[in-house]
Amino acid sequence: MTDGLLLLIGGVAAGVFGSLLGLGGGILIVPFLTLVFGFPLLEAVGVSLVCVIMTSGAAAGVYLERRVANLRLGMTLELFTAIGALFGGLIAFLLPERLLEFVFALLLAYTALTMARRRDASEAPADATPPPAANDLASDDHAFLDTLSGPGYRVHNLGFGVIGSVVAGIASALLGIGGGLVKVPVMHVIMGVPLRVATATSNLMIGITASASAIIYLIRGSIDPYAAAPTAIGVFIGASIGSRTAHRIQLRVLRGLFVAILLYTAWQMLQRALG
Amino acid sequence: MTSADVGVPADPSGARLEQSIARLLTGGTYAAIVLLAIGFALMIASGVSPLSGGPRFDITAIPGDLLALRPTGFLWLGLLVVVATPAARVLASLIGYARRGEQRMVIVAALILAVIALSVVAATGLEG
Repeated sequence: MTDGLLLLIGGVAAGVFGSLLGLGGGILIVPFLTLVFGFPLLEAVGVSLVCVIMTSGAAAGVYLERRVANLRLGMTLELFTAIGALFGGLIAFLLPERLLEFVFALLLAYTALTMARRRDASEAPADATPPPAANDLASDDHAFLDTLSGPGYRVHNLGFGVIGSVVAGIASALLGIGGGLVKVPVMHVIMGVPLRVATATSNLMIGITASASAIIYLIRGSIDPYAAAPTAIGVFIGASIGSRTAHRIQLRVLRGLFVAILLYTAWQMLQRALG
Repeated sequence: MTSADVGVPADPSGARLEQSIARLLTGGTYAAIVLLAIGFALMIASGVSPLSGGPRFDITAIPGDLLALRPTGFLWLGLLVVVATPAARVLASLIGYARRGEQRMVIVAALILAVIALSVVAATGLEG
């Protein structure tokens, strides 16, 4: 009973923080399950994948209804995140757990540093769209890119998007994260997609990305239903609370606190990796 | 263009497709939450600790567990709904794009479903 409540509360905290700071819950759930409850890393990743699918499903539904997410672009790129996730899901079981823990510690430190340097969204440029690449695309490719574009922006550098998507898929499968840390910058900075659309489209893509590898974790017995249920319910509740209270919270203070938590967690994970 | 219509071009039939997909995603997520919540409540009622290590996934045991009101039946069904909802969204997109005659998007959707199917086959093969 107590353990179930602790998992539920931990999930709520991960969901609230993740939602307020624009991160998926995965970056918090894996260290929470491994460092607090002593779960093996792969089991924590399996539970985390379930949580990120669920939170992205609810959010993506809202983004699609409001027509913020770009379905065509999302589907085109998620083909490649799914391929990356399939590959990552298969090699995850072959890699030493300590190596994955070490990589996760690096990811936590990188996220903390990125967050420390990040300006408020309102301070960011509305659309940092670089000019289209000057490579000679066939007219057929131009027509396809036109179908992926939206009002006020034109998608370009699809090749970089494909590479970024494969990398995001592998990272998602190995570490139990949504992969937005890779997809959003690639779509926004390299492909010319406005930040708001890139964030919404990345959210839409998380479902397929995470489910391609979650299936592997599920069939191979690395998703524990007893631990997954309270954690996933908690994350869902937390994400709902976070999205409703975001406008009332001083994000600058919260971000500082979160950076400190991430750095501490990175240190703990590094110690675990080094035995 | 409304303030919300920033991601995609104005296109009434595309908007309808996206509305249906949005409903599917939201409905799938809420169905999963309800199933997981029932399973979790049954777990607590039967005194099962979430740290006791759950059983391995066995799809054939789910109907029997559901009928017997065992927590694992609801938990596994909830987790299956979670994992299957994104694939159902792609299937719905495939059908929608096929109706609109967008062959390229139909191929993209079919390839995504093929990758998902390959995940199932690969994981099952490795287990076997």
